[in-house]
Amino acid sequence: MKAPTSVEPMSQRMTVQFPYKRSTGEVTGRFLAGLKEQKKIWGRRIAGQGVVVPPNSYSEVDAKSGGEWVEVKDEGTITAVGIVAKPVADLHPSDASFAYVLVKLDGADTSLAHIVKDRLGELKVGARVKAVWAPDGERKGTIRDIACFQLVG
Amino acid sequence: MEPPKERVKFIQTDLVLPYHYYAGDYKALYLRALKDKKILGSKCSATGKVFVPPLMSSPDAHAPCEEIVELPDKGIVTTFCVVNVPVYGRDIELPYVVASVALDGADVSIYGLVQECKAEDVEMGTRVQAVWKPDGERQGDHTDIKYFKPTGEPKAPLESFIHRL
Repeated sequence: MKAPTSVEPMSQRMTVQFPYKRSTGEVTGRFLAGLKEQKKIWGRRIAGQGVVVPPNSYSEVDAKSGGEWVEVKDEGTITAVGIVAKPVADLHPSDASFAYVLVKLDGADTSLAHIVKDRLGELKVGARVKAVWAPDGERKGTIRDIACFQLVG
Repeated sequence: MEPPKERVKFIQTDLVLPYHYYAGDYKALYLRALKDKKILGSKCSATGKVFVPPLMSSPDAHAPCEEIVELPDKGIVTTFCVVNVPVYGRDIELPYVVASVALDGADVSIYGLVQECKAEDVEMGTRVQAVWKPDGERQGDHTDIKYFKPTGEPKAPLESFIHRL
């Protein structure tokens, strides 16, 4: 039999899940505890790199371990923006349109990846944003303890 | 001042990937036909090789496979493995056999379970037949063939299936 020229489309929705439980390690574990318990953002002053946020336990320049804890502000400057106009439910961190941003927090020398949910049209490199914290009692020791960043002014 | 000494030890980072999979024309034909207890393949216009599930073009000759052929639900176990460890989401008594089955007339094998026999009785060349879900329960998906079972016929010689693994 000759293959039919027109076939009713067939499709299926399926969800693949990878339930990862990750060990944080000493430095990331304390960084996350700072978000949860203190509502503070901590970086580490690392030789050759300045203040690194989120912090590492080693230098990416010479691989030496060590570094001194430094608190940075929960406010900073956007260094990169990527707008997600149509988020995929359960995959993206927001159901409504949002933007991934890199934020160089005041006092830091590297940028932290996070999201912005409002006023997406005004986002640009150099714009100033401030952290919106999850309320007391709802912070769980994850990066989402900062709910999102919001444009200042 | 420093961050708390008592660190957060673990984070749960579940990765969720929602797919919307489209079967394509040939795979849709193949799956719908299973509902009627039919196994479809496609024949290469250049070499005459029969592929199951059907392919629109042959991977070796790069020629179109425009002819759809129906295959019997009987064949030969080409290669197989005996599963001795439980797999998440699969509730089958251990040990069980997963096999490549070359259906009679097909040039490639499909995968299936081999049941209704002891694992140690399965060999390369064992002749098997599909056991289907009952009428009314088949949905047009790959689980419509529940498993293959040995037919009891003499085992096929290696030369008859060595090129159809």
